[in-house]
Amino acid sequence: MPDFFINGQPVKAEKGQTVMQAAAAHGFFIPTFCWHPHLSVAGNCRICVVEVEGEGGGGGWVEIACNMPVTEGMRVLTDSEAVRQRRRETLQFILLNHPVDCGICDKAGECTLQDYHYELNGQPSISTVPKVHATKYFDLSSRIVLDNERCIVCSRCVRFTREVSKSHALGIQNRGDGSLVRPVENRDFEADPYSDNVIDICPVGALLSKQFLHKARVWYLKATPSVCPGCSRGCTIDLWHRKAEWKFNALDPRENTAIARVTPRENPAVNGPWICNKGRDLAQIFERPRAQQAMQKGQALPLADAISAARRLIGEARRPAALVSSWGSNEELAAFKAALGGRFTCAVKADWQPQPGERVEDDLLIRADKNPNTRAAVALFGEAQLPADADLVLVWGEGANFGTLPRGAKTVLLGSYLAPENGHADVFIPISIQTERAGHYTNFSGVVSRFEPIVRKKDSVAHAEQLFAQLAAKAEAIA
Amino acid sequence: MSGRKLLMTFPVTPTSHLLAEVRQRGGYETLKRVLTSMTPEQVTKEVTASGILGHGGAAFPVGRKWSVIQLADGQPHYLCANADEGEPGTFKDRWILENSPHQLVESMAIAAYALQVRNAFVYIRGEFDLPYHRLQGAVDEAYEAGLLGERILGTDFSCDLVVYRGAGSYVCGEASALITSIEGKKGYPRNRPPRLTVRGLYQRPTVINNVESLSNIEIIVRMGAQEFRKLGTAKSPGTQLVSISGHVAKPGVYEVEYGTPLAKFIYEDCGGVLGGRKLKCIIPGGISTKVLTDADIATVTYDHKAMEAVGSQVGSGGMVVIAEGTCMVRLLQVMLRFYHHESCGQCTPCREGMGWLHRIIDRIVDGKGRPEDIDALVRISKANDGTTICGMGDAAGFATVGIIAKFRDEFEYYIANGRSKCGGVLEVDAPAASAPRETAHA
Amino acid sequence: MSTPVTSMRHLLPEFEKLKKRYPAGFESSLTLPCLRRIQKERGYVADEDIDWLTEYLSVPRIQIEEVLTFYTQYRRGPIGRWHLQACRNVSCSMRGAERMIDHLARRLGIQPGETTADGRFTLDHVECLGSCGTAPVVIVNETYHENMTVEKLDKLLGELK
Repeated sequence: MPDFFINGQPVKAEKGQTVMQAAAAHGFFIPTFCWHPHLSVAGNCRICVVEVEGEGGGGGWVEIACNMPVTEGMRVLTDSEAVRQRRRETLQFILLNHPVDCGICDKAGECTLQDYHYELNGQPSISTVPKVHATKYFDLSSRIVLDNERCIVCSRCVRFTREVSKSHALGIQNRGDGSLVRPVENRDFEADPYSDNVIDICPVGALLSKQFLHKARVWYLKATPSVCPGCSRGCTIDLWHRKAEWKFNALDPRENTAIARVTPRENPAVNGPWICNKGRDLAQIFERPRAQQAMQKGQALPLADAISAARRLIGEARRPAALVSSWGSNEELAAFKAALGGRFTCAVKADWQPQPGERVEDDLLIRADKNPNTRAAVALFGEAQLPADADLVLVWGEGANFGTLPRGAKTVLLGSYLAPENGHADVFIPISIQTERAGHYTNFSGVVSRFEPIVRKKDSVAHAEQLFAQLAAKAEAIA
Repeated sequence: MSGRKLLMTFPVTPTSHLLAEVRQRGGYETLKRVLTSMTPEQVTKEVTASGILGHGGAAFPVGRKWSVIQLADGQPHYLCANADEGEPGTFKDRWILENSPHQLVESMAIAAYALQVRNAFVYIRGEFDLPYHRLQGAVDEAYEAGLLGERILGTDFSCDLVVYRGAGSYVCGEASALITSIEGKKGYPRNRPPRLTVRGLYQRPTVINNVESLSNIEIIVRMGAQEFRKLGTAKSPGTQLVSISGHVAKPGVYEVEYGTPLAKFIYEDCGGVLGGRKLKCIIPGGISTKVLTDADIATVTYDHKAMEAVGSQVGSGGMVVIAEGTCMVRLLQVMLRFYHHESCGQCTPCREGMGWLHRIIDRIVDGKGRPEDIDALVRISKANDGTTICGMGDAAGFATVGIIAKFRDEFEYYIANGRSKCGGVLEVDAPAASAPRETAHA
Repeated sequence: MSTPVTSMRHLLPEFEKLKKRYPAGFESSLTLPCLRRIQKERGYVADEDIDWLTEYLSVPRIQIEEVLTFYTQYRRGPIGRWHLQACRNVSCSMRGAERMIDHLARRLGIQPGETTADGRFTLDHVECLGSCGTAPVVIVNETYHENMTVEKLDKLLGELK
């Protein structure tokens, strides 16, 4: 365990650490473009230079920190004049051919180059020669657009596909200042289910999400912590949506509550800094047309009346059974167990199955169970099947095969999205989704993660957690 | 004369490179003696005692590089001969590859024995066609004669030698780029640490030596370190193959004993400047080495210490003679165009800086230079000094700073007047009918 | 309309022999020599060559694509029957390279980087070839032509049918 000094302060480093790793672990700021804690060292951007003081006060030297092994007693300076001068030079080189089109670049506001320019340089380019031009809008895939002029050839995206997603789908062609990031020609990058992570790790606005392109400035948005329900990994994520003070007055009000984008929320216990593309597309799940109207065999009726009708059916049933949603939160599952678990024979339902073309499982993040809370549901309700002689089936959530339900059984359906079966159920009650409430999921390995709401539910829609108690209450207790 | 010879010791004929004639000259006797009566450690000891410095440009002591290899570390070691010879003005390794390939092959077998290397490589630049065929021919002859391959000369030592052809990239002459190229990838240099002698080819301990450095190994072991040290100087033992070209009367490859007065070599052995012209300057050893004028040359001897004392270097042994009347601005343009073309593009200062330097010098040569351009060239050069992954960025900077320092007046003239002080001439002996060109091809 | 390309798989036995000269685990190293051999056979490297080589060497396809763009000697498409590459670096420029290139451009009616309409000649300028003592130098396909003069170039062009 070598001891060394950063800016005069003693620091304990782990064996084999670089100065960059030790500095990062102890909260010392060293700027980086190409270095990333989860990728191999490239050492090409040269911005992370630090000064190492010479032995006995002799001449020191300036060198990159990301590839510098910590040695006992070394004295490192992260902000000396020599370091500042070198950083200014490096930024001048980076800006030499950079288009500086922040005005139309989505990365503005969260761009490392912008931040460093202001913190470390702040000077306009000293170049008097024309900029080298390159492709401005290259279709890296159907999801990602590449701007080669903004690219600083840090190789983070290439290393990601080599070391993390292992698709080996990106490379750098040519050489010198004609170097271009390009996807492999057989379209493997299109098929890489982790491709969008390169958007996050790109330190500049070279790699941008097409679905987010020019949708909003990042400072119009706030990030709300959530959990991806796409599989039992339960990656923690940020859902980005409009801040109240930036809401649109004139446009479709749905824009104000829509999910602008989804990004990973770093989580060493679950997903590290990554998520898969399915998580990026959660708006496609959460923003499907919503069921907002309670119904009785397709006939609309007020929510309270639907709850009463359901309660009556439950009371009359001899052998009530329930298909429990594996998308229910820990809180909802507990509430179900408490309110209805004694009365109902429960079977946990896999709401979602792997879709055609979707990667089923791998050894990175993706799990075959495409539901966020199976573990908690099974812990409460076991692994029993739906009894074949049930005379009432309470179906909670999506994915039930209505064709296989016991013949003649009445159905009470609790669902969130518009679906044909909503109109066929004896009673249909619309319920809230994850983005409308707080709660927790338990992932496949037992890690519990919290999600928070980004929007209020409609009044005609019930929260399942409260609904279960109301369904269980004795008829005479309800006015 | 340029001193005693170690390598260029026989008349070159159309057959003098073949094994039969090589044997007549005593070839492979040393290998036999090494494999039957010396230990690997004894070989390395002799090489270290000889004090031989690398002949590729960096002049790192060969024995010191070898000594990092742990013979008993239980992992494969690799040996690579650097035959990428791409430094402009340098063509002396080519002489060995074409005319004395067995000298290299035998030396590599001895070096492989010393370093306990089972697989050795020669990385030869892709453009070298005849040298490749000569070398591969020598390797094939050696295999046939049991001098390479399994159980060499009936001993327990086995070594395979593969000649690996490059495909057109100057930066692959840099040792770490060279081995990355042998791994089948782009020639991207690597950051150090780790040193290549610790983790090199496929992350194994690897020694990379210049062709000429290696070719001396058989000689050192044959003569013994003490005899070898009788040639040259204390700090620079032995000889240097020098390739001389440009405005020189007798261009070609010469073997120069270290310590030879440089003026003697240039004016006597090489016939001096083309057509008896006045010398403007020489580039002594690769285009990044600081140029020397007649005043510098008059008293300097050709060895590392003396060359460094006048601020220059022995370098790669690629000497270019430049006659009076040559436009140094256009010459620097040729160099910067070269560096720009060859930058691998990995690290920020070189990737952006080479293009930047090139675009500025192009603008000066086009007659649109600005007064601040000279300082810009120097500033960009300094920002590449010690800041890059490999030495290429530095080299371009040294070339730029060196030429501007000695010939600043030409740059100022070109910028002030929009044209060259020397009529834009590079080819001083162009036929009278052709006019000198003031602008280069794009 | 793309013309169908002939397969290069008949080179497989040659590649297998080549593989044996390398230590185990060095399959990736075969990338450069195999590409050179395919190009020598076909004149350039075709897309289907890359597909097949990717599988044969078990290297990522992107590695081969990158190698093809990084090194100057590889081509992804055909060029003229005679590839003339003239050095224009320091010593060659000092001994007339620019005059040689101008002459070739004028005689052939093309600029460096172009191919004559009849497909006979492609002209390129290149960096130092390691032949500075016999400058100026022009490579024709693989062969060095040294100590070139305008007269020698004319004679050479006449011989290259």
